[in-house]
Parts: sequence; structure tokens; C-alpha cells
Amino acid sequence: MNRREVIKSVALMFGGTLSTPTLMAMNHWEQATTPTTNVAAFGLTVTQQKIVAEVAEMIIPKTNTVGAKDVGVPAFIEMMLKDCYLSSDHQRFMEGLTSLEQLKFLELNEAERRGAIKMLEQQTKEQMKTPSKTVPFWRLMKELTLLGYFTSEAGIKASFEYIQIPGKLENIKLKPNQKSYAY
Amino acid sequence: MYLNIKSTKENTFDAIVVGSGMTGGFAAKELTEKGMKVLMIERGKEIKHVQDYDTAMKQPWEIEHRGKTTLVSAEERWANSRFWGLGSEEVVNHLTNDKENPYVEKRPFDWIRAYHTGGKSMHWGRQSYRWNKQDFEANAKEGIGIDWPIRYEDLEPWYTHVEKFVGVSGQKEGLDVLPDGHFLPPMPLFAPEAYFKKVMFDKFNRPVTVGRVANLTQPQAIHTELGRASCQYRNKCARGCPYGGYYSSLSGAIPAAVRTKRLTMLHDSIVAEIIYDDKKNKAVGVRVINQLTNAVTDYFSKIIFLNAGSINTAALMLNSKSSRFPNGFGNDSDQVGRNLMDHQLGAGATAMIEGFEDDYVYGQRPNALYIPRFRNWGNDKQTAYLRGFGYQGGASREGWNRGVAADGFGGDFKENLTKPGAWTISIGGFGEVLPDPNNRMYLDPDKKDKWGVPLIVFDAAFSDNDRAIRKDIVASAVEMLETAGFKNVTPYDRPTHLGLGIHDMGTARMGRDPKTSVLNSFNQVHDSKNVFVTDGAAMASASCVNPSITYMALTARAVDYAVKSLKKKEL
Repeated sequence: MNRREVIKSVALMFGGTLSTPTLMAMNHWEQATTPTTNVAAFGLTVTQQKIVAEVAEMIIPKTNTVGAKDVGVPAFIEMMLKDCYLSSDHQRFMEGLTSLEQLKFLELNEAERRGAIKMLEQQTKEQMKTPSKTVPFWRLMKELTLLGYFTSEAGIKASFEYIQIPGKLENIKLKPNQKSYAY
Repeated sequence: MYLNIKSTKENTFDAIVVGSGMTGGFAAKELTEKGMKVLMIERGKEIKHVQDYDTAMKQPWEIEHRGKTTLVSAEERWANSRFWGLGSEEVVNHLTNDKENPYVEKRPFDWIRAYHTGGKSMHWGRQSYRWNKQDFEANAKEGIGIDWPIRYEDLEPWYTHVEKFVGVSGQKEGLDVLPDGHFLPPMPLFAPEAYFKKVMFDKFNRPVTVGRVANLTQPQAIHTELGRASCQYRNKCARGCPYGGYYSSLSGAIPAAVRTKRLTMLHDSIVAEIIYDDKKNKAVGVRVINQLTNAVTDYFSKIIFLNAGSINTAALMLNSKSSRFPNGFGNDSDQVGRNLMDHQLGAGATAMIEGFEDDYVYGQRPNALYIPRFRNWGNDKQTAYLRGFGYQGGASREGWNRGVAADGFGGDFKENLTKPGAWTISIGGFGEVLPDPNNRMYLDPDKKDKWGVPLIVFDAAFSDNDRAIRKDIVASAVEMLETAGFKNVTPYDRPTHLGLGIHDMGTARMGRDPKTSVLNSFNQVHDSKNVFVTDGAAMASASCVNPSITYMALTARAVDYAVKSLKKKEL
């Protein structure tokens, strides 16, 4: 199904008829630019990139649905760090990353990796008690992993009931095991 | 100066409207519908309704930085990005590049600007509340500022007129503090909000209602004939709505004015001066600089409406010096640029809600709940401050982002985040700010922008009264959420400056006495009665409710008066 068909079927599903503005919007939607691709240029070494990828995958692993690596989270994290964060943030991020590098994280087995991350998690909780303008590696890693994953096309569609145009607003009762709506 | 007579003729209109935003658009609509040939002048670029809403239909993954502000945006939009989310790619290209349009902060002022067709009406919060009777009377009763030259009754029919055209969804409540209007069907409160409403009424006798919002819940012919359709509950209004689901100058007033075939629009055209003819003793037109070519052109008209936004309207007046008005146009009182007000924003409280696990919502409500002012109202008397505040806020279920601060990672963690989390609630105050002549903006005596127009300097700050209100905003929010039995009640009070409420107003206030005010009771400049100021500059006090609908009502009323006066040859 192309986008136009998706939007039409969504509208039909909820009994809506398509108004002129809707059709105008649909045409516009079709003209919208395609997602851009990003070249990583923040300055992580290959080893650091691999650690970032492995940690992201530990946060959001591939299960019966796609994982962080499948949807490009590692490259997303690097792009976000480069484009949206100050050098003070970079520095704090690198502190944590370097410590994992020194730990030879990539050479650890799965149980050891889990142990290391759990320790990092506890450390981070302690560090977060001190107010600071920057956030520790683990916290930022987690934030960017979740953001990258749950806003990616495959991540959204695998995780939620994605509805681009709700068309109505209603209080409803949650069905057992119902996924969140994403919009 | 050499004037080409032919071009003078071509450049002459019945009315000139400076600005195309919330009030400029409305002035143009009203004037053209009453038969006037109107020139509307917008300083920014042209944006076409629907087709130029370039992010409106983008899906989350098509927004490259997913709502975060990039370093480039933060630098270019150094003022705009002080407001939550305005640095994001979803909207950033429709906000003014502050680096190219600098201003001076003698004291900090968060100036949020949108220089393009429709101005900030493209981005507004759409909350639409009538002022109450006391809002117009309080200055006189309390000896604050100056008395309003009008009362609620003067504006009442114009509120109705505006509400019908704009389309305001809301619930009638029969409250003196928040007069009912002409409403489309209300949006629903969510289950925990309905509970909260009941507790607030039972325990405090405080009403809670769903926000009154300029989104079409049930479009009427007056809306659909302009191509507007029902709100689609996407809650992506700030990107511009391709459905015309919410009101803006772009979706409503400008199409209505265009329809009359009496509207001419200029873009990229900065009005640098009002031309005052000392022989005729009246304002005869405006001098315009094209922001792209720097070409200077004069335009003429019988009447002029200044709707550039409070700050820019006052700046334009201050920059228009003549032998009659050596201190700036209409500034005999020295009040132009003074009494700069805003609303306080960024303080309140949040909480977790236990229960309601089965309750969920389909669709995204582009609206909030509203708690009308209860302080210094009825039997409530505060000793620490005058006036009061209202709250906006709402309940929602946590999404995946609850995982950021939570412990855990891995498969179960991932799976859990795909389900709705607990309900949370947040309420934030909108506090009234009192007029103070020392809170002001003025023109920098030396610094100019790249078009040779003086930079604007801000010199304003919150007062003790404002701070006392803010303290109570936080304390009362905590008290109300705790009384409702909610958990982890957490106060918040983000440090802000004047301006962040994006309700800047008061810089050319209405009044009864030309010695202490700039405008009369019909928004005419004292001593230059063919010039009307009907944007936020006209306000003599701020109330605590969102102001746009009041600005539009003042505009419609002033246009009605202006056209009648013109026909009687009084202008």
C-alpha cells in the first residue's frame, strides 16, 4: 500500500469522508521529502561505535520485533550527539564510553556485559542526584536509544498502533494487552 | 521629496493594515467585508495556507532530529528556542531567525517572533477565553495603571462575532469569572480529569472545565465555505494545519479577505515609518522597506491599522517622528513602549495518578483542561498580591519515554514500553502581570538593523506582585493535586523572563485621558484619529486569560467604528 492508500484506508476505517482539505493534505504528504540519510561524523572510533551499537542493542534488543541495530539507532545516536549536543555533553558521554572501552566491553561475554551495564545503571543513579547541566553516559545513551528506536518507522510500527490521522477524539477502555497508540 | 503622482495613485488604498497576524488578518477581513480596499503589509516572507506547511504531514521518522533543537537552530533562533520545542525542525523554519533580526536585552526578554504571513497566529495555543467584567474594572478599583475606557458590555457583541467566525470549542459553565461564549461542542475531559473536576468542586468549590480552544469540533458553513474542516485530533497544530482545523489568519481571516477581491498583500515589506503630513495634520500613509531589495516605497490611505504585534507596533510608532510628534507618532503621553506586560508561564506542579488503568484515549486532544481564576475572586482575598491566575493542564498516560528515567533494559523492558504507562497530570499557571511604566521597550539610539531601522531594547522584569502570584501558582497547584489524592506531587518553577508567555501587550494602551494613554476607547490614536492600534499594544491591563480573542474583538469593534466614521466623513 502506498501512502495515499494508507491514509484512505485509515479514513475509511473510521467512517470519515475525505474533505477537500484532506485531499490537499494527502497530495502534500506525497510530495513530502523522503527521510534523509546521515553520515556519522561526531568522531567516534570504530571500537567506540561498536560499543555504542552493542549497548543500544542491549537496551532495545531484537526480539520477535526489530531491535535498536535493525533500525539504525547507533548511527542516529552519533548524529544526534554531533548536531544537538554541546561539547560539555560530548565530554561527559565520552567519559562513560571510554570507561567501557577500558573495560574491554566488546570482549566480555553476555553475562559480563549485563553485569557491567547494571553497575553503570546504579552508578548513574548516584550521579544523577547531583544537579548538573550534563547527563551521564548511560542516561543519554538510554534516552537517545529509546528516542531513535521508538520514533523510527520500523520501531513505531513494530511497537505501537500507529495512526497518522486519528480523525476523532474519544475516551475508550483499554483492551487486554493493547499497545499504545502512536501518532 | 519627489513624488510620482501616478505611483501615488496606484499606491493609495482606503485602508492600510500593518501586519498579517492575529489582528492584522482580522482587521483586513473586517475592512474588506465592509467594502474597503485594503493593503495588508507583512514584513516577513509569504506562506501559503496548506502548501507551505512543509512539516505538517511528516511522520515522526521524517523529522530528522525527532523534535530536538539542533545547535544550529539554537544559535540562529537564540530567542525563539527559549520556548519549549520552538527550536525543533517541526516548526523552526516558521519562526524568526533571531540572529538576522537581533534585539537588545538591557534586561532579558524572551521575544518569540514569527515573521511571515499570518505571524504567530500560525503557532498560537488557540486557547480562547473572554475577559470578565472585573478584568475591565480592576485597574480603576485598585488604582493600578489607568482605567480601561471600555467595559465588558462594549466588547460582548464583538466577542460573539469573533467566536462565530473563528470557531471556538468549549463548555458553557455559567461562571462570572469566565463568561460563556458562542461555542462549538466541547472536547471531552479524560477519565482522571473528570474525577479531578469533581474533587476540586467538592473540596474547594473551584470549577474545572475543558479548554476553550479555536479548533473546529463541528465546522459550520462559515468555516467550511473557506475550506476549513474538522479538527483531526493530531495535535500537530504548530506545524500549520492542512485541514484548517484550527483558526489562524492563514486559514480564516486572510481567505475571507481575499474572497472579497478587495485585498492587496505585500510581503517582505517592513513598515519603517508612519508618514505624517504636517499640513493636513494627519497620518497619510506608511514608508515601506523591501527586506530583500532594500527598495523604499510609500503607500497611502485614509485610515491605517497598526497590527504589527505589540512590540513592533510600538517600535513603528517610536520610529515615526514628525514636527507634530517629535517623540514618536502618537506619543504625546510618553506611554508608547511602556507598560509592557505578558503572562507568567512555566510554574505549576505535576503528579502521578493511581488507578484508571482501563481508561485510555483514542486521538490526540489539541487542548487542555482549564481552571479559572479563583484568587481575589468572590470571597477569596489575598494579602500578598492583587489579581490572580488560571491553570491549564491535563492528564495523559505515559508513553515510551517513561523508560528514560526508569531502571532496566532488554526484552521485557522494551515490551513494557509498548503499552500505555500510568496516568500523570500536570497543571501550569497563567498569572496576571500588572502594568508598570518602567517595564518598557524603546529604540536603541545607536544600533540599527541591516535595513537601517533602530534595534529594539527591552528593559522590563517581573514585579513583587508578579512573584507573589507565581509563588501561589506553585503552592496552589501542589495543594490541589495533593487534595485530589494524586501521588509524587512535584512542583515546578522554571526561571523565565517576561515575554515567554508570548502575550506581550500594553505598549500603546487605551485610556480616557490623552495625557496618560495612547489610544481612545475605539483604539484611535489620540490626536491622529485615522490611525488605529488594535493588537496587544492597546491593552491597559492583562487579565490572566489568553488574550487573542480579546484582541480580535477589539479589532472588529474598531473597524466597525472606523468604517462608520469614514462614511460620516469624520476621518
